[in-house]
Amino acid sequence: MTIRVALIGNPNVGKSVIFNALTGGRAHVGNWPGKTVEKKEGICRYKGERIEVVDLPGTYSLTAHSIDELIARDYIVKEKPDVVIDIVDASNLERNLYLTLQLLELEANVVVALNKFDVAESLGYEIDVQELSRILGVPVVPTVATEGKGLRELLEAVVESAKGRKRVITVSYGKAAEELISKIEKAILKDRGLSSRYPTRWLAIKILEGDEEVLKEVERSPYKSEILEIIQ
Amino acid sequence: MNLRLSDLKVGEKGVVSRVVGDRATRRRLLDMGLTRGTEVVVVRKAPLGDPIELLLKGYNLSLRKSECENVYVLVEEEK
Repeated sequence: MTIRVALIGNPNVGKSVIFNALTGGRAHVGNWPGKTVEKKEGICRYKGERIEVVDLPGTYSLTAHSIDELIARDYIVKEKPDVVIDIVDASNLERNLYLTLQLLELEANVVVALNKFDVAESLGYEIDVQELSRILGVPVVPTVATEGKGLRELLEAVVESAKGRKRVITVSYGKAAEELISKIEKAILKDRGLSSRYPTRWLAIKILEGDEEVLKEVERSPYKSEILEIIQ
Repeated sequence: MNLRLSDLKVGEKGVVSRVVGDRATRRRLLDMGLTRGTEVVVVRKAPLGDPIELLLKGYNLSLRKSECENVYVLVEEEK
C-alpha cells in the first residue's frame, strides 16, 4: 500500500529537517505546476509501507492571499493526501495551532508533530500531549527532529492514521456566526458539485470571510444567488 | 490611550484593540497573530523607522511601518 503524506507547518518549525529525516534527503525537487515555488517530493519506507512525502510551502495560514498558501491549500483540498503531518513548534503553540485549526476545518487527516519539544521544555513549558490530542481529535507526537527523536512514533501514527478516518472536530465561532454558517451550508448542499469537492463547513466559513478563491467557485454555482444572499 | 502601533517607541508596549485596512491586509495581520487583546512590544526599528520589529505571543515579527499604521493598540499612560 502506498500512503501519500503532505508535510505542512509554519516557517521555521523544522519542516525541512523532518522531510530530510523521513526521506533520507533523496528528494526530487521540481516546481509546482505553473508556479515558481519549489516542490520537494521523497519516499520513505516504514514497516513495508511505501510512504510518499510531499513538502508543502511553509505557511502561517491557509487563506488565498499568497501563492504559497494557495499551493498548500489546493494540494490538501484537491489532491486529498492520505495524511497531513502538521509540524508545530512546541515552543510557540498559540500561533502554530491556528494553522492546525484550519487543517482540521479542511477535514484533512491530520497528525500533529510537536517539534522542538526540547526547546519548549527548556523554556519551562509543560505540554499535556494526551490532552492536546483529545481536544484536537488527532494524534499528537512530540519530536526533536534535529536529534531524530520521535520520528518512529510519528511514522507509526501516520500509518495508523492512514488506515482509519478520524472524527471531525469543529470549533464554534459563537451563535451569530454559527447561524450564518449553517444557513450557508444548507444552501451549499443543494449544489452537489460544490459540496462533493469541498467540506461544506469549511466553504461556509470561507464564504463568510470573503475568501476570493472560494467566492470564485461560488460564482460558478447554479445556487450562487441563494448562497450570496445569506451574507448580504 | 489608543495609538497606532507605528506611533509606539522602541521598548513601549500595547494591547491590540483594533485592526483596520482593506480585507487582505487586515486578514494577513490577523493571521500573523495581531488579534484583539494581544500584547505587543516594539523591539527595535530600522533606520528611518521602517521596518519595525515586534515581539508578540513569544515570537518576533517584522512589519512595514505602513502595516503597523493599520493596528491600533491601547497603551497604559505613564503616571
